[in-house]
Amino acid sequence: MSRIFLVILCLFLICQSNSSPGQEDDSARKRAREILRQVDDLWRGSSSHSIFTMHIKTAHYTRDMRLEGWSKGKDKTLVRILLPLKDKDTATLKSGNNVFTYLPRTDRTIRLTSGMMMSSWMGSHFTNDDLVKESRMEDDYDPTISFEGKRDGRDIIEFTLIPKPDAAVVWGKVVAVVLSDGYLPLKFTYYDEDMNIARTITFNKIEMLAGRLRPTVMRVVPADKPDEYTELVYEELELNIPIKDDFFSLASLKRR
Amino acid sequence: MKILPIATRNVFRNWRRTLVTTLAMGFAGFIMILFASLTQGLLQAGERNAVAMDLGDIQIHAPGYRDDPDLYTLIPNPEEILKRIRGMGFHATERLYGFGLAAAGSASAGVQVRGINISTERTVTEINNHVMEGAWLDDNDPKAVVIGRKLARTLGVRPGSEVVFVGQAADGSMANDLFRVRGILKSVGEEIDRAGFFMIEREFRDLMVLPEGAHEIAVMRPDRSSDLEAATKQVAAAAPGMETMNWRQLKPIIARILDLADAQIIIMVVITYVAMAMVILNAMLMSVFERIRELGIMKAIGVAPWQVMLMIYLETMVQALMASVIAVSSGWALSHYFQGNGIDLSSISSGGSFAGVALDPVWRAYVTTKAVLIPIVFLFIMTILAVLYPAVKAALIQPVKAIHHR
Repeated sequence: MSRIFLVILCLFLICQSNSSPGQEDDSARKRAREILRQVDDLWRGSSSHSIFTMHIKTAHYTRDMRLEGWSKGKDKTLVRILLPLKDKDTATLKSGNNVFTYLPRTDRTIRLTSGMMMSSWMGSHFTNDDLVKESRMEDDYDPTISFEGKRDGRDIIEFTLIPKPDAAVVWGKVVAVVLSDGYLPLKFTYYDEDMNIARTITFNKIEMLAGRLRPTVMRVVPADKPDEYTELVYEELELNIPIKDDFFSLASLKRR
Repeated sequence: MKILPIATRNVFRNWRRTLVTTLAMGFAGFIMILFASLTQGLLQAGERNAVAMDLGDIQIHAPGYRDDPDLYTLIPNPEEILKRIRGMGFHATERLYGFGLAAAGSASAGVQVRGINISTERTVTEINNHVMEGAWLDDNDPKAVVIGRKLARTLGVRPGSEVVFVGQAADGSMANDLFRVRGILKSVGEEIDRAGFFMIEREFRDLMVLPEGAHEIAVMRPDRSSDLEAATKQVAAAAPGMETMNWRQLKPIIARILDLADAQIIIMVVITYVAMAMVILNAMLMSVFERIRELGIMKAIGVAPWQVMLMIYLETMVQALMASVIAVSSGWALSHYFQGNGIDLSSISSGGSFAGVALDPVWRAYVTTKAVLIPIVFLFIMTILAVLYPAVKAALIQPVKAIHHR
């Protein structure tokens, strides 16, 4: 799963790679990147395996799903539905910039066209685009620390992430709040291009998971429909496990 | 005085000139009747494709559906409304719409799924007769779809091919199923050609998990010549709280184009007839000048100026009458031929479209009373105007001068 996870979580948090040692960066900027890299590393790992549930509530339906996911590197993700039974074994494979969906009911695999990218992924408040975009995020934003200190009784650091001028990003900016202690993410706020809030993601229930403390519940709320949400709850997470590249192939998309 | 016999005799005195003039008038009239019939045919086909293939005369939607075609913006009680509308003598059918992705092989395309009640749909539209390849939907073949022609090309499918549909059902689950292409439609309009994905209503409700309601009710008047506005009001009264619109409101551009058709025909007729009027003017002027002495004598023996004028007019009218006979018989005959045997433009274009409505590649004429009447009426009007000058000239001839002319 962790692609989805990462998408939301760390999408924007990745600093520029070490290959460009920023002599021009002032120390604050350097520190911002360093912290964000740590936040990102919290989730990233070289590969992952996870089991999580997804609760979706919209004006028209509520839906609970249990899913299993694998990821490797930045651009390989496989997510498979375990429950409900009606959708069991429906699977999504992201490989590079392509998204494939396997439909067990018809035993067919389809590739999503660009027109489908902004539509909902599995009926949730995530779009297919959220899955694909993830790998490019590290190149897309400039982070600055916009607040540091106590807020609501907790020591936090607030980052403002501005998309680079040439970045293909749908957001106008992203405000990310992390705990000063341990750099755990608390809340991400996404602004549209008119700088109105488009959606917020909050992180809750910090528990031991895969060997360290991490938020295990993540809730997405679209700003225009405050009564709706999608909540991800981690049940299991393993990081840095050996997975072969060809696990993320069309053949294994069908395998169960 | 017996002016008519004299005028008739005069007409045939120079029969060659009369023949040429009459043929010129007749030809102009013939061309215009053909033009008017073909224009009517084009517009008729456009309206037919818009109204009889897709829209119906009147449509009912839940408020807001037309601005934002949301799966959940439903007419909550379609059965009641349908019953009431049918009770008024209208034909009516319910429709369901959804969106998703259709895939065949490695090709995929966004589609608009249409859930159709095929037994009542055929009372409203003729789309069931508009299949290019394969066959229309059948209740005994639930996993079959009929799709638009451009969509078929995009997906690379033929009747018999398999198509996977994926979309989001009303309960948030993944609507997905395997369908077989049963038929491919002829060109109807951009929307249907590119994205039309028709299936039977029952199958749609299963697929999209939408057991109740309808997105649209399409209504057709039993008599298409009755008053559309009045019918719209009647239907609107049967669907309180819903949005009721007729096709003229739904597709104002097409309605405007159809309304302007008569004006367009008249403009073309006038332009063509101005050229024809020159020929008549020239011929009649010549015939007057040739007869100056004769006209002078007529006036000398007491023929009044208005009688001379009347004579010249009658001479022209006899020719115009003969021209009309030629124009109507040949124009009507050829137009009628093209009504039965369309002009096949498919080698030139695969069928254009205006305002999102497809035009068939086979262009048929449509002979209406108007298409015949407008060219003939204007033939007489233009002739009368053209002969004004020669007639006045003849009427004002002074006998003394005329007799000594040359």
